[in-house]
Amino acid sequence: MKHHATALLADDEEAMRQQLRSRLRDAWPELDIVAEAANGIEAVALAGQYRPDIVFLDIRMPGLSGIEAARMLFNRCHLVFVTAYDQYAIEAFEQGALDYLMKPVGGERLKTTCARLQQLVGRQPTDIEQQLNQLLARHGAGSKAAPDYLRWIQALVGANLRMISTREVLFFQADEKYTRVQTGQAEVLIRKPLKELADELDPDEFWRIHRSTLVRVDAIEEVTRDLRGRHMLKVRNHPQLLEISRGHTHRFQQM
Amino acid sequence: MNGGRLNKAGHARRSANGLVNIVREIGEMTAALWWRFFDWLAQVEWRKLMIVWLLVLIFGLTPFGYPEQTGAFVMLSFGLKVLAGGKRKAEIEARDATSHADKEGLERRLVEARMAALQAQVEPHFLFNTLALIGQLIETDPPQAARIHQNLIDYLRATLPQMRARGAGTLGRQIEMSRAYLAIMQARMRSRLAVSIDVPAEMQTATFPVMTLQILIENAIKHGLEPKVDGGRIDIRASVDGQQLQVDVLDDGIGFNVHAGDGVGLTNVRERLRILYGARAQLVIEAPLTGGTRASIRVPYAPDIFAKRAP
Repeated sequence: MKHHATALLADDEEAMRQQLRSRLRDAWPELDIVAEAANGIEAVALAGQYRPDIVFLDIRMPGLSGIEAARMLFNRCHLVFVTAYDQYAIEAFEQGALDYLMKPVGGERLKTTCARLQQLVGRQPTDIEQQLNQLLARHGAGSKAAPDYLRWIQALVGANLRMISTREVLFFQADEKYTRVQTGQAEVLIRKPLKELADELDPDEFWRIHRSTLVRVDAIEEVTRDLRGRHMLKVRNHPQLLEISRGHTHRFQQM
Repeated sequence: MNGGRLNKAGHARRSANGLVNIVREIGEMTAALWWRFFDWLAQVEWRKLMIVWLLVLIFGLTPFGYPEQTGAFVMLSFGLKVLAGGKRKAEIEARDATSHADKEGLERRLVEARMAALQAQVEPHFLFNTLALIGQLIETDPPQAARIHQNLIDYLRATLPQMRARGAGTLGRQIEMSRAYLAIMQARMRSRLAVSIDVPAEMQTATFPVMTLQILIENAIKHGLEPKVDGGRIDIRASVDGQQLQVDVLDDGIGFNVHAGDGVGLTNVRERLRILYGARAQLVIEAPLTGGTRASIRVPYAPDIFAKRAP
């Protein structure tokens, strides 16, 4: 006895699920759409519950992205990605022979996809784990460069937790139990010790010039020597001169 | 041999040249020292100059000194300071000011060029998704399709730089364009996005830098609310505290990732505020204890008295 193929649609936008459903009804009337999911987590849960033959996955969804959800589903059902615009993913789909549709879905493209899926239903899905892993790795690297460095300093100002972008900071200076954070406009104290900050900040963004000072490289204006022969560093938009200790002067030797 | 004679002649010419060079160098150095002395004389305070005279006179009266020359030096420097000092001082100050102004002008142009490259970030992802939505609504809900279509046009008109009026706009205009954007996002996110805008009427006409509010709103949605499964709400409020106009964008989204870069948008806002207002404007980002993010822009409050005539 022949059973109708079943499908799950996952997209965070209701109108887009509606669109996919109505276009699929035209292109493949026998396809039975058993459930709709509004995010990646729901998609994985409903796929476990309904065990559909096919899952249509939007790429950008809250909870889990379409690609993350695909990693949990690829050996249980056939997957088709759906996207309006995700250049990185489309390139990868073409190289990795993954199935995908462009929004608005429809036309010849959808017919071709449906014809191929009709052949595949009932067979073991192809192993696409490797392609998915590559895609996830590439997406992770592309969307946030060097994700591990600290980019925001949290400081308690009054009763509020203020977020200070490291791009605003001119220098950090150890001040007894605290660390002084100097921006172009304000000075705040945070509890995080300078040593901890030095480990978490991007070493190309901030240089250590003294046991108690980290300075933003972009903000350095000039280095001069005072009468005692000490190297003194001036940052832009701030009057204070910062001492460069002997062990750190090598960065400022003439080229 | 011939070569030897030539060498000798060459050698003689070189040493003659060397002598001329030395004399010229001495001349140049003397001139430079003289001008340096002259500049010093022009800029030195009278009080300091008098102390120098006193020291020179004391030295001149010792057995090693030359009292006449000392007297001549004091008279000469007094005369020069009185006659030419003021003019020279003004010249030096003008030159310093010009070079400073040149540098500032150059920096300003540089930043403007960089900003022009940065602004107008209409995200392709947003654009394509909105077009896909309009396509769907044309079939299911044509009046709604027409509304979203109009909102998209309003948004693009305000965002694309070649279509945008130059200079700072009013807060009211900025809110209008953000309403268009928020209406599109509400059509897409449906119940996942609640919006409230609370801007008193008298602040609508106040000057407010173009696009900065929009960037904060897009950030709140993109980084705070879109990635949150249940979605949430965004609140836009304006208030005046003395001479400062403060506009807050609050969301109850997933909050801040301290390791995520601060992106082109916020850098763009900060740079623009710095150029337009220097230290008188501020972008403040806070993580309220209740979760989410609060981003505030503070600028000098300047109600635009012509706003009614030329909105």
